[in-house]
Amino acid sequence: MAYECCWFNPERNPLDCPNIEEGEEYLYASPRKRFVEKCIDCDAFERDMCRLPNDDPFSSIIKILREEYRDQKSHLISLSSFLSSKSREIKFLHELSVVLQTSMELDEVLSVAMTAITSGKGFGMNRAFLLMTDREREYLVGHIGVGPKNYEEAWQIWDDVDRSNFSLKELSRDFFKSKISLEKAKFQDVLEKLTVSRKDENHIFNRALKERRPILVENAFTNPEVDPKIAEALGVGRFLIMPLISRNRSIGILLADNFVTNKQISPRDMESLQTFAFPVAFAIERASLYERLQVEVEKKTRMNQQLQEQQDLIVRMEKMAVVGKVTSSIAHSIRNPLVAIGGYARSLLKSDNLEKKKEYLEFILNEARHLDEVLGEVISYSDTVYPIMDWWDVNQLAIALVGDMKDELADMGVTAEFCFSPDMPQAWLDYKQISYCLKTIINHILQSQPTATRIELKTWVDGGRIILCVSDNGISISSEMKTALITPFMETEAMGSGVGLPLCRMILERHGSAFTIEDRSDGGTSYSIILENKRGE
Amino acid sequence: MDRILIVDDEANIRLLYSQELADEGYRVDTAGTIAEALEHLSANSYSVVLLDIKLKNESGLDLLQKLVKERRDMAVILSTAFSCYKDDFSAWLADSYVVKSSDMQELKDEIKRLILRKKSR
Repeated sequence: MAYECCWFNPERNPLDCPNIEEGEEYLYASPRKRFVEKCIDCDAFERDMCRLPNDDPFSSIIKILREEYRDQKSHLISLSSFLSSKSREIKFLHELSVVLQTSMELDEVLSVAMTAITSGKGFGMNRAFLLMTDREREYLVGHIGVGPKNYEEAWQIWDDVDRSNFSLKELSRDFFKSKISLEKAKFQDVLEKLTVSRKDENHIFNRALKERRPILVENAFTNPEVDPKIAEALGVGRFLIMPLISRNRSIGILLADNFVTNKQISPRDMESLQTFAFPVAFAIERASLYERLQVEVEKKTRMNQQLQEQQDLIVRMEKMAVVGKVTSSIAHSIRNPLVAIGGYARSLLKSDNLEKKKEYLEFILNEARHLDEVLGEVISYSDTVYPIMDWWDVNQLAIALVGDMKDELADMGVTAEFCFSPDMPQAWLDYKQISYCLKTIINHILQSQPTATRIELKTWVDGGRIILCVSDNGISISSEMKTALITPFMETEAMGSGVGLPLCRMILERHGSAFTIEDRSDGGTSYSIILENKRGE
Repeated sequence: MDRILIVDDEANIRLLYSQELADEGYRVDTAGTIAEALEHLSANSYSVVLLDIKLKNESGLDLLQKLVKERRDMAVILSTAFSCYKDDFSAWLADSYVVKSSDMQELKDEIKRLILRKKSR
């Protein structure tokens, strides 16, 4: 029996096989592979099969095996095609979700989403519209439409896209940078007509959101479920409604159609778009929240800036008020002696009485001394602004100060006694300022307590505090007087310039310490400087 | 002879004013506190009271209110080193206001004006 198949014919060269195509050259070297992939479908092989004797049992078996093999092969090819299509889809969705995850701006997210739906490299729909739920959740509002408005524009766009050879990412970036505002404006009329109240539960858009599933609308112009205004606005009979839901929140809906090509929207298209809708809804929600957050942050930043400006203004005003108060106090302290000096100088010029002249000169000298003291206190006040802190022995400080004042004490007939606690720790203070405080207290006693004959300087540790107390054996002072003595710029009998003891309190407050004035049980008054036995901040 | 009461807590100022005003032909009394001033006022009749506002722990404005209520026929001149007291409404009760100065001509003129005004009524 003569067979047509080349492998029965030694004169036929495998290179002459009409079924082997370019790229399949490997089949020439392997008769087995060549048989499975080519010969089994070859017409010559089929004809050879028919030549087999009918009574040959292998004839029917081979025919069955061949048919079964061909069915399986066809099924495999179909599966392979499906697999590769799904692989492409997964790759596309992966790329898409990466882009969506990195996009924080709402328009950027929308550019990616709308480009993916409408580009040939994506889902290849002709047009897409996005409706978003408004902030009050009362309406689905037409937000953006993408695609051609008519046939001419469609060919123009597709031609441009083909020539540009952009990837999906590049296309969406290009759309975001140069086209999104134009597209929003282009479909403004359609978008306005697509706006729907969320309260209309029977509306097909709200139904898609409620049922959380896509709806493919067919015959929109005659479909009773479709609002005729919507069909008219879209101008197309078939479109897909895709709900966008993120964490149970209705973000909006996507409408997609093939307005130009009128291509069918297959269940597989719907399935793919549904997979795509999840990351899109999430990305839109995140971008919207981010946008609102940015607005809030900007608002808060502005408010913070205003608050800061107000605070600065208040601080400036407070400083000015303090400056005014200090200036006023100093002016008062200076004017009185100046009036006396000027007045007596004029009297000197007029008077011929030598005794009177001498008396006037005494007055002038006294007032000049007074002015000197005021100036000293003003300088001390300015020194408090920059304290020089260090560890000092309070006992040594007190002994040194009393030594400096021995002449003043002697003039007033006052003796100083020390009652110091042994093993006193050092205190963190400004030596000059605390010395000034101590001197001011002793001066105050000398001037205001003419009956005092003795002052006692006592130190001790009380918990974490070091107490330096000066007491006199003069008469007690009233509580109003005690308050007046430590109130800034409140002039008292003893403190002509109204700065001394209040300044002590201010200095000590800056040290994180305190100043108290108390009656002694056995008569007289105690003035205590309470220093913290630790380094301040 | 017109009689003037000087109320000021500064002894040197009291002495200066009293000498200057005595030289002008007035009879002058002085007080360092409100209590002293009230003693003089209860005992004597004055044409003018020259009143310092800041009197150590007291305010001359308290005395001013008393004077205005009880002795309307007496002129009161506020005298102080603080010009800011012009803003205190109670200072408006006084007949005149003079800021302390070593040149007392303004004060003397004001006293003269107020005495003349009183006499012309």
